[in-house]
Amino acid sequence: MTANPPARAPALRVDGLAKTFGEGGEAVRAVDGVSLSVDHGEVLGVLGPNGAGKTTAIKSMLGLVLPDAGTVEICGVDVHDEPAIAYRHVDAMLEGARNVYWRLTVRENLRYFAGLGGVDPGRLTERHDRLLESLDLADVADTVVNELSRGMKQKVSLATTLARDVDVVFLDEPTLGLDVESSIELRSELRRLADGENVTIVLCSHDMAVIEAVCDRIAILQDGRVIADDSMSELVNVLREKRFSVTTAGPIDDELAVTLRERFDATIREPAAQRGDEQGNERDPGDGSAPERMSGDESATEHEAEGNAVTIDATGIDAEAAAGLLDALRSAGRPLLDVETAEPTLEDVFLRLTETGPGGGSEPTAASVGEQPDDSAAGDTEVIADGER
Amino acid sequence: MASAKGAEPTADDRGERGSAPSVLALIRVVLHKQFLLLVRYPLNTASQFATIFAFFLAIFYGGQAVAGASLTDSLDGLIVGFFLWTMSTVAYAGLSWNVTREAQWGTLERLFMSPHGIGRVMGVKTAVNVLLSFLWGGVMLALMMAVTGQVLAVDPLTVVPLLVLTLGSVVGIGFAFAGLALVFKRVENLFQLVQFAFVGLIAAPVGEIPALRLLPMSHGSYLTSQAMAEGIPLWGMPAWELGLLLATSTAYLLAGYACFHLAQRRSRREGLLGQY
Repeated sequence: MTANPPARAPALRVDGLAKTFGEGGEAVRAVDGVSLSVDHGEVLGVLGPNGAGKTTAIKSMLGLVLPDAGTVEICGVDVHDEPAIAYRHVDAMLEGARNVYWRLTVRENLRYFAGLGGVDPGRLTERHDRLLESLDLADVADTVVNELSRGMKQKVSLATTLARDVDVVFLDEPTLGLDVESSIELRSELRRLADGENVTIVLCSHDMAVIEAVCDRIAILQDGRVIADDSMSELVNVLREKRFSVTTAGPIDDELAVTLRERFDATIREPAAQRGDEQGNERDPGDGSAPERMSGDESATEHEAEGNAVTIDATGIDAEAAAGLLDALRSAGRPLLDVETAEPTLEDVFLRLTETGPGGGSEPTAASVGEQPDDSAAGDTEVIADGER
Repeated sequence: MASAKGAEPTADDRGERGSAPSVLALIRVVLHKQFLLLVRYPLNTASQFATIFAFFLAIFYGGQAVAGASLTDSLDGLIVGFFLWTMSTVAYAGLSWNVTREAQWGTLERLFMSPHGIGRVMGVKTAVNVLLSFLWGGVMLALMMAVTGQVLAVDPLTVVPLLVLTLGSVVGIGFAFAGLALVFKRVENLFQLVQFAFVGLIAAPVGEIPALRLLPMSHGSYLTSQAMAEGIPLWGMPAWELGLLLATSTAYLLAGYACFHLAQRRSRREGLLGQY
């Protein structure tokens, strides 16, 4: 039993974690050999499409799901062999607004979860005050949680997770239901915890903005496996795809289209509205305008409507090649309407790596599935005791 | 964890990262939460209490109308039985219903992640529930005696140990059904049936059929009745009776907890813990 683990043990070490639900033909391999290591004070983002196994992986790391194989150590303590000792170092927010007691006030919840974590809440009053202040909950500290909005409840849940001082915090969709301002406050609080208090954070979210803003490293899960695990900048570099876009006026004849494709591996697209065609892939141009139709694999004759704006995208080309592309357009007499370059975003990386395509939608979380635990919903005939949350 | 006087406070004392959890802190917050909920929602508390008391009044006055004077002969038994039923229901509900509710609220997984370990957390919650059941039972007993004019012997040195042993088997049943709830989820109807089954266990004719002593609660109910209705003190009871009560109560408690332990393992193996 190691209450005080070796100083150099990583905050979280996962090795060969695997979990299959069901048997035979109906077996589902939810987690398939996940291995990770997260340092103290590091913020790891966990991304993955629906059904990628994120929640099962996280719950397996926490011992809430018993894995079939693999080991998980939190601060050097094996979670499955010595869960109670491992839990001295970790807390988690898994169910959003649901996992607090709605009939207690915000502060009472903090005190309860501190005690549940084994710390006399009387010693943590200052910490709780600061936490309430930083999450903008100070004004409602003595309000019963049931009376708060969904977003506020979410923040209360987060606050209770941080109610005692731990080495590692797992957060599953912490920004779900938060307004923009609260989400920004949360980001800065998470960064402060990591930078100022050396807290390790494992953050699972569909909110790319939060992941980008907060995480030092990102692990992408698909089909229960880690398909990428690297820093934000390295992940983006993997794509090596700075996009160079030129908008010109049509038409683009066959000869020019062939030149653009063969010399610059360019994609030619035009606004969907101008084509009146509802088929094909849509793509958000990323500038707030309407999605545009991809048409890079179509013949150039489809772009010959006089005056139509046509955009040519070339990815991964250098400045010289970009100049060559502009020359080719000029030589063909096509006027330049707009020129822009764009760095790939985390979303681009995510979509490319998981190949889910746009519009994958967000994963329904436990919070969204089972929210609003109405006290009258079940057990109306329950007699007494701790029947009220 | 208190440090030795004059010594530097340890990491545990300060509640620092990785320090050993304080059981006192756990007891304190569980008690406090229970107290807050009782006083914060007095109408809710009162209505629950009134429901049970109204049930007693219906039996008492209904019985008088039907059975007349003969009810008086069994009134002691009725009061003790109702007293025990009130307490056992509170102690039982605090486990079975509570685990179901915690699963619904999404707080159950947080209990499992306590550094105290789920066993200790459930143990403290149960102890607090048993304390609460004494409060409810005591108030109910006083009201029943006031309404019926029947005065029973309430020697704490005799009654409290007998009640604790009787409730031991109830807690065992509570753990077993809480475990069922972890695996099979919506089993509230079963919970209600069990609460009514308590009536049968409490009223079991242990005096006529000695083997019924082996049932949960029945033996404890029989001895508590003797103590309260006939004024027999604990030290006036045969040692073998008390020994048997201790043994069966402990056995039911341990068996119930073993069921809960196995069920929570299965629930975690199948990924059901946080689901409802």
